[in-house]
Amino acid sequence: MDALGRRRFLTRAVLGTTATVAGASVLGALAPEALADPVPDVEAGAPDPNFAEGRVTGVKGSMLTATGSDGVLHLIQLTAATSIWKLRPTTLDAAQVGDGLYARGVRMPDGVLAADAVWLNIVNLTVHISAISKDTLHLDHHGDKIVGHVVSGTTAAVYNGTPAVSDLSLLKVGQHAQVIGAWRPDTNEVDIATVFAAA
Amino acid sequence: MLQWLADLQPALLGAVLLWAASVKLFARSARQAARRSALVRLVGKDRVFLAYRAVGCAELAIGALLVLPPVHPAEAVAAVGLGLGMLGYLLYARIAAPDSSCGCLGDKHVPVRFRALARAGVLVLAGAAATGATDWWPLAVTRNPLAAAAVLLAEGALIVVLSPELDHRWLHPLRRLRLRISHPLAGRPVEVPLAASVQQLHGSAAYRSVAGLLRSDLLDTWDEGDWRLLTYSARPESGPATAVFAVPRHGYHPDDVRVVLIAEEEVPVPA
Repeated sequence: MDALGRRRFLTRAVLGTTATVAGASVLGALAPEALADPVPDVEAGAPDPNFAEGRVTGVKGSMLTATGSDGVLHLIQLTAATSIWKLRPTTLDAAQVGDGLYARGVRMPDGVLAADAVWLNIVNLTVHISAISKDTLHLDHHGDKIVGHVVSGTTAAVYNGTPAVSDLSLLKVGQHAQVIGAWRPDTNEVDIATVFAAA
Repeated sequence: MLQWLADLQPALLGAVLLWAASVKLFARSARQAARRSALVRLVGKDRVFLAYRAVGCAELAIGALLVLPPVHPAEAVAAVGLGLGMLGYLLYARIAAPDSSCGCLGDKHVPVRFRALARAGVLVLAGAAATGATDWWPLAVTRNPLAAAAVLLAEGALIVVLSPELDHRWLHPLRRLRLRISHPLAGRPVEVPLAASVQQLHGSAAYRSVAGLLRSDLLDTWDEGDWRLLTYSARPESGPATAVFAVPRHGYHPDDVRVVLIAEEEVPVPA
């Protein structure tokens, strides 16, 4: 079944129900304690085996190789059930050599990380807005200049913690803001996913 | 002409030094500014405020000597020395502590960049010119008041433009004014961003009822009429599944969010 067919099937399934909570019939006989994640068997201070970070060094089929900032080589297996974020939810095709990577999943006995979720180039910056121009926010990140690109249809603003909106016209120069975005590798530029600010 | 220009320079240098001294000696946040400056690397944390104050005292003394009569070349030489010291300090800060601030003309935290170095250079040049001064600067001003005002204003403006710690006083207000006239990001198409739907989802009982089973971040999303659909991979005890949420696209009604968990084996596979 292609992606469109799968979407159609899932749409029918969810809109065919009126369920606003997943009932026992959906979840099966499930005790609440079974929901809780098992306590991870990681020593304090030791790296979490179920997490990987680094730069992508290779994309082969559905396997990513990445070199961690500590020099460790990670093998990351993606499946159809792996979420991939690169500015927005996307697919494996978007992964490129050089991308910054965070991945969470389950470490297999052979050392491969079976990823549940992968975030490419994601950054979280606390900045001052130093200038605003068409399609661009010029940001001051503790003295370093960062160019933030506004992406039509994607960039959203959250003012004072209220629901996100696409209207960016309440942003002010000199204002403190937090930016979640996708770094353009090896530049000082980011594509902005969400900017949090006061209004 | 050149002599007249040289006579004016002590006024500029004196004003800048007195201003710098007042920031170091009298500003309420001077202690904080000292701690964030690159001086910490030079003299250590315990003595930094003392050193910062000492620099302020030197600036106060040389600045006062420059603006007060009599005129003596030694004053300008001292100012050049101070400027060269500043240039060296800034170069050191740029290399050894690139994230620390200059602490020069304001208490705003601004790391040392090109502008601070250029400003120190301008002050050294002005000091060098001032060594040729023979008359007290008010005499030079009275000789040609308009030209003197123009020269001093231009030089002062140059110093301000080269002072990143003062941007919030003039550059940002100017840019804010420009935004008030017309905001470059106004008038973009109004859409419901994905982030809003995800926020709404997180606030819903539907999401809470399965949150513990979700393994992935947002897997896929698409719009269907008034609904926005969001999928996550889930792993209930029965095996891999997909959690499908339908979130109202317009308005904030988290109670209306619908959810269904579909086992992967139930999704038809291509024939």
